[in-house]
Amino acid sequence: MRLVLNIEECTGCKLCELACSAKNEGVFNPKKARLKIIDYYTDKGREITGKFCTLCKKCLEACPTEAITFNDEWLTVDDELCTGCGECVDVCPQGVIFLNDEDKSTICNFCEGNPYCVEWCPRECLKLEVAE
Amino acid sequence: MKSYMGKILRVDLSSGKVIEEKTKEEWLNKYYGQKGLGIRYLLEDIEPNINPLSSENEVILIPGIFAGTIVSSAGKLAIASKSPATGTIDDGSVGGSMGAEIKYAGYDAIIIKGKAEHLVYLYITPDKTEVRDAKFLKGKGTHQTDFMLKKELKDQEIKIISIGPAGENLVKIACITSELYRQQGRGGIAAVMGSKNLKAVAVKGWKDVNAPDISSFVKTVYEINKKNILIPDNSWTVSDGTLIFGDLMNDGGILPTRNFQTGVSPIYKKLHLEIVDKRKKGNKACFGCALACGNYIKINNVTLEGPEYETLNMAGCNCGIADLKAITQFNKDCDDLGLDTISVGNIIAYAMEMREKGIHDFGFSFGDVENYLKLPERIAYRKGVGNELAEGVKFLSEKYGGKEFAMQVKGLEVPSYDPRGSWGMGLAYATSDRGACHMRAFPITEEVIEKTVEPFTFEGKAKLVIDGQHYNSIKFSVGVCDLWALDLDLLAKLLNMATESNVTGEDLTKGGERIWNLGRIFNVMAGFRRKDDILPERFFTEPLPEGPAKGKVLPKKEFEKTLLEYYHLRGWDEEGIPFKKKLKELEVDEGVIKKFERYLKKGN
Repeated sequence: MRLVLNIEECTGCKLCELACSAKNEGVFNPKKARLKIIDYYTDKGREITGKFCTLCKKCLEACPTEAITFNDEWLTVDDELCTGCGECVDVCPQGVIFLNDEDKSTICNFCEGNPYCVEWCPRECLKLEVAE
Repeated sequence: MKSYMGKILRVDLSSGKVIEEKTKEEWLNKYYGQKGLGIRYLLEDIEPNINPLSSENEVILIPGIFAGTIVSSAGKLAIASKSPATGTIDDGSVGGSMGAEIKYAGYDAIIIKGKAEHLVYLYITPDKTEVRDAKFLKGKGTHQTDFMLKKELKDQEIKIISIGPAGENLVKIACITSELYRQQGRGGIAAVMGSKNLKAVAVKGWKDVNAPDISSFVKTVYEINKKNILIPDNSWTVSDGTLIFGDLMNDGGILPTRNFQTGVSPIYKKLHLEIVDKRKKGNKACFGCALACGNYIKINNVTLEGPEYETLNMAGCNCGIADLKAITQFNKDCDDLGLDTISVGNIIAYAMEMREKGIHDFGFSFGDVENYLKLPERIAYRKGVGNELAEGVKFLSEKYGGKEFAMQVKGLEVPSYDPRGSWGMGLAYATSDRGACHMRAFPITEEVIEKTVEPFTFEGKAKLVIDGQHYNSIKFSVGVCDLWALDLDLLAKLLNMATESNVTGEDLTKGGERIWNLGRIFNVMAGFRRKDDILPERFFTEPLPEGPAKGKVLPKKEFEKTLLEYYHLRGWDEEGIPFKKKLKELEVDEGVIKKFERYLKKGN
């Protein structure tokens, strides 16, 4: 399972980030989204990229308390075990893990197979790919 | 929790003092936000007759109620001040992400007054606000300013609004730029920033924006997006954007050409949207907008969001220029230098006609691409003829003559719609709160586009214009983009969800009227009366020479009669001064009514 973004079609509206934070954290705040659209201009033109969980599992490997587990489809954090040490945040190559207000690691779980970000993408350029 | 942040930030650049205060909830309930709230704070804080470029004037940045939430087309930032171009109240909005970012920084508004000793910028986060040295940005364009500030702050994603050299040099048509290609264009508020030595505002936020019941809020907005936003009726905003107006206006015979000498352009096909569309690279959205109207294009090596219809025509056909490459370069230069393309196009066309008529020679004629491309820089840095052009057509016509074809109202240059083929639009320009503006009422929709109303009559136009002004007033106060034509019942529904209030669409119409009166109070106190609610003589005396509106002028006597009818319907006296009874009926707050009464008693 993974998210794929057709970057050519992405408008940078960030509704995916807002949908994510609203559903999972109960607030509107792109800093609390489990994915990230980076969109800005440089002197060379527009730079736009999407950052998502790629299931590389570096967080899982780095977690000193084994709070992060993988169920063959997505990652899950056990809040009881998570100490908020931030190792996973530091090691995530996509930069999409953060510690929530309770200092618990917050990782994309594709909304357990029905990602809200995908549902909200107005251009339908963000999609969930499921391996056969 | 409501979608407000509950706090505003005040910055005094003279003393360097920064304070936070509570957002006045009673004003939010009456004036909603953005336009309405901006005018209310200005009426509280400044005397409307001050010099707009004095340190007392304020620049107020106001995100909308929905900014930072998931509501589409509602993330724009409103900026309000007293305009140096017109001396009226001025408020306008700019797209991009700054509206939401200010909310994420924790504020419902940022009010800036005073004057710094040298060029500075503001750096605002939820933790602190700093007034920082910006001497290294002196004379830099808005694009360089954006890049250099991001480098200095080591953050590519920080949100910045800035002024270019035009604003620094107090050019009356200077605009404020956000994310390179988005502008708060009209009325010269960038010059107010320049007069305060304020080069830029950089904001980084990370606070939550809330909604009382977020899951039902999100669900409702999702349904609204499906039913009211992502629908065929709105698809033009994404596919063509404002460029669609080119065909519509040329077909209606009201496409300003050669400084409004005609309304049909022989060269306009060269600037047709199909030609521009071929260069389109994609769409770029403002923060949280499902529509994404920003047309991101590349022509030769010039990257641009645009050109929008207004630029393409005012700096194109209206200047006798049909070279898309040149207009794109011109557009980018104006964005970078911080110039309002509507006013620049209008001023250049006026100067071209001055030469054509032998009144004054500014050194360039209609269609002179080479000189045309040099003008934005000259105007922004006030070099050579640019120094006078920077003051606008009202100033130029008072100095050199040619007032009858100086296409301005109250000092603001007329945008790209000729009212001789849309008489209601004439009344809309004359009565707009900031001079000739197409964003206050837009009878063109009924008169020219949908053709549901006869364009060559003033009958029923006072009401049509009033209704448009109320609709836009409330929409731009709650804070929804012009391109989403939502009805006010729907706006009320959203507002109730975000603020736990219980308003109806009807309440909002009344709110629009309340806010429109607030603006008029400001303008009356700034000295504006009936004599100022007038149009350039050309519209009254020179018939359009061709096209569907051939032979048409606005009959002046009828115009004057309609203006009085407009005042009467509004509950204003014959000078356009609101009666107290009307203000009471509209429930304008006592603070304003008392201030206004004191002013009127002084015998002004």
